[in-house]
Amino acid sequence: MDRNQRPRSIIDSLGEELIAILTPVSICMFTVVLLVCILNSDPSSSSSASFSSIATAAYSESDSDSSWDKFVGAFLNSLVFVAAITVATFVLVLLFYLRCVKFLKFYMGFSAFIVLGNLGGEILVLLIDRFRFPIDCITFLILLFNFSVVGVFAVFMSKFSILVTQGYLVWIGVLVAYFFTLLPEWTTWVLLVALALYDIAAVLLPVGPLRLLVEMAISRDEDIPALVYEARPVIRNDSRLVQRRVWRERRSSQNDNDDIEDRTNRNEVVRVVRSAEVDEERVGSSERAEISVPLIDRRPDQVENSETFLEGIGLGSSGAIKLGLGDFIFYSVLVGRAAMYDLMTVYACYLAIIAGLGITLMLLSVYQKALPALPVSIMLGVVFYFLARLLLEVFVVQCSSNLVMF
Amino acid sequence: MEDSRSDDSNLNPIRNRNPNPTPNPLSTIISSAQVWPTIDGPLGLTEEASVDYARRFYKFGFALLPWLWFVNCFYFWPVLRHARAFPQIRNYVVRSAIGFSVFTALLSAWALTFSIGGEQLFGPVYDKLVMYNVADRLGLSGLA
Repeated sequence: MDRNQRPRSIIDSLGEELIAILTPVSICMFTVVLLVCILNSDPSSSSSASFSSIATAAYSESDSDSSWDKFVGAFLNSLVFVAAITVATFVLVLLFYLRCVKFLKFYMGFSAFIVLGNLGGEILVLLIDRFRFPIDCITFLILLFNFSVVGVFAVFMSKFSILVTQGYLVWIGVLVAYFFTLLPEWTTWVLLVALALYDIAAVLLPVGPLRLLVEMAISRDEDIPALVYEARPVIRNDSRLVQRRVWRERRSSQNDNDDIEDRTNRNEVVRVVRSAEVDEERVGSSERAEISVPLIDRRPDQVENSETFLEGIGLGSSGAIKLGLGDFIFYSVLVGRAAMYDLMTVYACYLAIIAGLGITLMLLSVYQKALPALPVSIMLGVVFYFLARLLLEVFVVQCSSNLVMF
Repeated sequence: MEDSRSDDSNLNPIRNRNPNPTPNPLSTIISSAQVWPTIDGPLGLTEEASVDYARRFYKFGFALLPWLWFVNCFYFWPVLRHARAFPQIRNYVVRSAIGFSVFTALLSAWALTFSIGGEQLFGPVYDKLVMYNVADRLGLSGLA
């Protein structure tokens, strides 16, 4: 048939993978905006005053301070938070170095349970309270317990239903992002910018903790146990499972050929099982290993437990795009905070973030190594938020109130 | 971005894991007709691992986890559809489905009775059990 003979162009594969990563990000952002709009609709509800966490440790904003005070306070808050994250990431690097992988996996499962049970329960209680839903506490507890335990299974076990795992990861991102949007306003914006800068430093600098982690994972050929969203690997229609852009690093001559073959054979086991046929064209060198991406982030909590969220984008062992859960969270925080102002800023920030994500994916294909996914999107998002709020809104409101529309 | 092709045959001359390196149309037909036990198809579990997983999910579901039973049925949906293909897995999946239905029937009966009956049926106990009051009492809804 003609279809089988026509070589699959870049556009076919690119579109599918872009959509595979844009859909969950969009769903996460949409859900956070929805939650913000529903739960924050009454202005008398508790806003910034009562939410205390590590991100407001240095300074808690109150309405009576001047702008400069607020800015300095927000800056101090962000410094504290970024310092805490750096420490937590270095602890993670140390644990990974000492090969405490089991402990990390257990901790990951435990933190997922806490997030789903505690934060999820709290959001559900808020929703029930808001809508006066007549559910009794026994049913509620059973449902919450079910939800959290299956979530832990989904996160903990490596071979689980892809759809369920992805759904749970997005839901964890939504929960944490909603709680981040409760931070005071100035703190949120300065924190986002600070985290974008931290992300660049941690991934690209040679001394950055995330880069160390990635290099250790490469050298040991393991996956880092952390919360990372992996898009479903795309399978072609003609039943030839082609290795999708599994970018690999050229191993230097440290390893002899047998060793490499053994390692790549282990990686290749999964593909040998899957691929029914072998393509005529072969990849040239066999001395390559795969990289999986991680960058780590930490979620602040009243209880100070750190969790292994990841930020950053890259490719996983099956060639699917991996995006760290920290990216989901902070994109959604940005959009959620924009939603607290008006929906116009939401649209502007959403488009900015998606554009930033597209740019990051392009850079990923060009540079072929782990990249920070936060900086471009966050910078664009923040710029667009302030432009929309300060300049666009005035213009649009004037236009529509005078019935001049585009 | 370019696709990289699999290099299996190049790597396994010693292991001989792939004894038939040349593309064989018959093997294509056979492999494409193979039914995978999980809903993920070729990305999911193999048949041997599936039995283990199905059994474990079924047993864990007894800890008041009907949602786990449901996920079990969802994950092994092809097992339910192709009735003859996987006898061992089907055993556990069918039992999970039954367990899920029974538990859901009981739970929804209770929940519906509670929400529809309301104060008239329960009296003062209603106020003690309903969630938003419990949350108010425990201070959960103030977003401490």
